[in-house]
Amino acid sequence: MIKVLFFGPVADRVETREMQVAFTPGMTLHDVIAHIGMQYPGAFSIVSFIAVNQNQVHDKQTVLHDNDEIAFMAKFSGG
Amino acid sequence: MNEPVRIQEEDFSQDAEINALKANSQRIGGIATFVGCARDFSEGRKVSEISFDAYGPMALAEMNKLRSEAIAKFGLLDARIVHRVTTVRAGDNIVFIAAAAEHRAAAFDGCRWMIDELKQRVPIWKKEVTPQGESWVTPHP
Repeated sequence: MIKVLFFGPVADRVETREMQVAFTPGMTLHDVIAHIGMQYPGAFSIVSFIAVNQNQVHDKQTVLHDNDEIAFMAKFSGG
Repeated sequence: MNEPVRIQEEDFSQDAEINALKANSQRIGGIATFVGCARDFSEGRKVSEISFDAYGPMALAEMNKLRSEAIAKFGLLDARIVHRVTTVRAGDNIVFIAAAAEHRAAAFDGCRWMIDELKQRVPIWKKEVTPQGESWVTPHP
């Protein structure tokens, strides 16, 4: 399974902080974005940062592995 | 003493943080600090509370990286970063940054750089609660 996390304004729009997506070999970050983004287009319109296993990634073709953790995040506003 | 980089609900003591820096080195000639605190007014609205959300493990890792980078980039002797993730009211502390160096220029520069980078790079979000409702804060420059 792939663990998908949402925080702050993105979590509010998805109305959950975590969901699981079934893993399939060869799956890419793009596949997960397409899968969830279709259900929550409003949430994904404010996603500015994506992390896989707590490292920011820019390449949506990044190949995922079983048990990976993906976070979809809006612009940060701490401090 | 506590870790130099922390995310916590409870308030911090500036004196305790500064004393921790001094206890580590007697070569320190200056410590520059920044304290971010909650305002009661923002974007033309009265703000009654601010609540925070964070991607805790990634935020802490990024803050530790920031501290190490600041020490290397500005030749600091030490640095500390503490961010609260809780609900605060006007006047309450939010974030503490300290940069300790042999001389003031590096301390000031390092401190400024760390808070600026924290706002850009650390996955923390703040939500303002106002009489008109709640809203997530758009990043400020």
